[in-house]
Amino acid sequence: MATVTYDKATRVYPGQDTPAVDSLDLAIEDGEFLVLVGPSGCGKSTSLRMLAGLEEVDAGSIRIGERDVTHMPPKDRDIAMVFQNYALYPHMTVAANMGFALKISGTPKAEIQRRVLEAAKLLDLVEYLDRKPKALSGGQRQRVAMGRAIVREPQVFLMDEPLSNLDAKLRVSTRTQIASLQRRLGITTVYVTHDQIEAMTMGDRVCVLKDGLLQQVDTPLNLYDTPANVFVAGFIGSPAMNIATFDIIEGGRAKLGEADVSVPRSVLTKVSDEGSDLVTIGFRPESLVPVSSEDVGGIPVTVDVVEELGSDAFVYGHPAGPKAAEQTDRMRSDTVIARVEPRMAPAKGEKIVLKVREGESHFFSVKTGERIPQ
Amino acid sequence: MAKDLVTPPPTAQRPSAGGPAPGRRQPGVGIGAKAVGILNGGFLLLWGLITTLPLLWAIISSFKTNGEFRTDPMGFPSGLEWDNFARAWSAANIGQYFLNSVIVVSMSLTMTMLFGAMGAYVLARYDFPGNRIIYFGFVGGLVLPVFLALVPMFFIVRNLGDLPFVGQFLGLNSYFSLALVYTAFSMPFTVFFLTAFFRTLPTAVAEAGIVDGCSHFSLFFRVMLPMAKPGLISLALFNFLGHWNQYVLPLVIMQDSDKRVLAQGLGVLAAQTGFRADWTALFAGLVIALLPVLIVYILFQKRIQAGLTAGVLK
Repeated sequence: MATVTYDKATRVYPGQDTPAVDSLDLAIEDGEFLVLVGPSGCGKSTSLRMLAGLEEVDAGSIRIGERDVTHMPPKDRDIAMVFQNYALYPHMTVAANMGFALKISGTPKAEIQRRVLEAAKLLDLVEYLDRKPKALSGGQRQRVAMGRAIVREPQVFLMDEPLSNLDAKLRVSTRTQIASLQRRLGITTVYVTHDQIEAMTMGDRVCVLKDGLLQQVDTPLNLYDTPANVFVAGFIGSPAMNIATFDIIEGGRAKLGEADVSVPRSVLTKVSDEGSDLVTIGFRPESLVPVSSEDVGGIPVTVDVVEELGSDAFVYGHPAGPKAAEQTDRMRSDTVIARVEPRMAPAKGEKIVLKVREGESHFFSVKTGERIPQ
Repeated sequence: MAKDLVTPPPTAQRPSAGGPAPGRRQPGVGIGAKAVGILNGGFLLLWGLITTLPLLWAIISSFKTNGEFRTDPMGFPSGLEWDNFARAWSAANIGQYFLNSVIVVSMSLTMTMLFGAMGAYVLARYDFPGNRIIYFGFVGGLVLPVFLALVPMFFIVRNLGDLPFVGQFLGLNSYFSLALVYTAFSMPFTVFFLTAFFRTLPTAVAEAGIVDGCSHFSLFFRVMLPMAKPGLISLALFNFLGHWNQYVLPLVIMQDSDKRVLAQGLGVLAAQTGFRADWTALFAGLVIALLPVLIVYILFQKRIQAGLTAGVLK
């Protein structure tokens, strides 16, 4: 067990100008489950592979515990990795796959057998120990890959999108299995995914990356409640946050076409300090409530689609009113999404007015994209 | 040979019920395709006969007495004349030649596969300056005709015998020299084919091996080589057939009469019996030489085909 520290770690692929991972600073606690998340090409896998030793570190350093592993070969780092497509050895049985690393390191046979059996029991694989990987289902292969990592009892687990090859249902159940297994074993884990739901549900902390740059590291709820910038706000949460750029008008309000939202005084001062009269405002679908159109302010919306999930209902609409075209230009996506009471959802084509609950708006600087605290 | 007896291609599909109106057929389907099918099948059948008939004739003739053969070369034997085989094996020395072939081919095949796989693996999976140059050097060997290399090869092999210490195992009339020459000549195709094969193996598995603690050597021998087994088997069979049937190279290098390999031995037998006319012993020797090849072909027909086509397509 150990901490993991990225200290300004940078990776530039040969022949490219921009770094794939740009001076990443990240401290992972002992026994923590940290999730690296971001869109494809954001550098999350590269970061993980740098820690594994499969990718060179061009600048900065990486430490596991107190050891500087920056230029150490993978086998000396005391890590185990689970690959996206499992990377099982096709010519070995499940037992041999799981025990391979121990065999290479010269562990006595009896000890290997004991540890493989122990891991197999933990993962429900005992009856498959003599099979070859090709005779296993996707879920079983995934568990063998996990087992191969567990058997080594490493200081750090590295997981590179280990669930992306499973079907949706299996993914959900395996997700909770991995999370609970990690808590039981208490081994520091770095987990890469592009799926923000996986990130939110599994991680003690989540690290959001974009274009090789660290955007924010925090607990899932803090990421959700106080995203540090527009990118994190739009990336975390499903359905996504509604984000648009509003004009600030007299009387502490911001307006975009017909939409009209109140802005707290503290935000107004910061925006005017910046010398701008625009502000980016985001609000989660569940922060929107339908109101009667006579109220002051609100966002008029024409309903396009209603998704009824039983427990929830989501309204997808586009801004209504004469200036709607101007509005869509300044919105992050074409649609406005709102969560409504499932049994009282509006009909398709209906025009409704939505209002943001007091204090649930997120404000971001138009210039830097950073969050403006209220 | 056996593999040429191909079943005729499936007959052309009838137009489906929802197709064009009767009497109007679209170009390329229907009768046209059927005609092509018949033509193909007919051609393959003819070719199959051309290759199998002489083979069958040789096998049948190897069981005749010389008298039977002379009076009715195309007929069937009245009984099985096993003495032909005994004469060929001992009197005509085919037994010794057979053994020579086995010794040389087992050495050359081992070396070809081991060094070919090692070279191809490094060329396919490691990036180093000069990688492409070496690769194209090997591939360039494919266009070099054997006959062009015969004379220089003869002198090189003869001079190898003058080397201190190792010279006694090399030089002309040495099993090991011939095996080395076989290996050298099969290297281009082996490296070419296996490089393509190693490239198709998943990188993630190699990385898993590295993370699991493999050195470069253990990664190759314990992970990558077993994974390449299908390709290695195809190629080993292909090389076995090539080495076993080799005639020109041993003709230059193996000049001692008791060091000859099988193909040479048969040539000698044919030349010697040409006028003394022990035809049936010659055919018996031919069958003995043919048997291992035939068995390999029949047992591994699919693999050989896969190996050949994979090499062509990649």
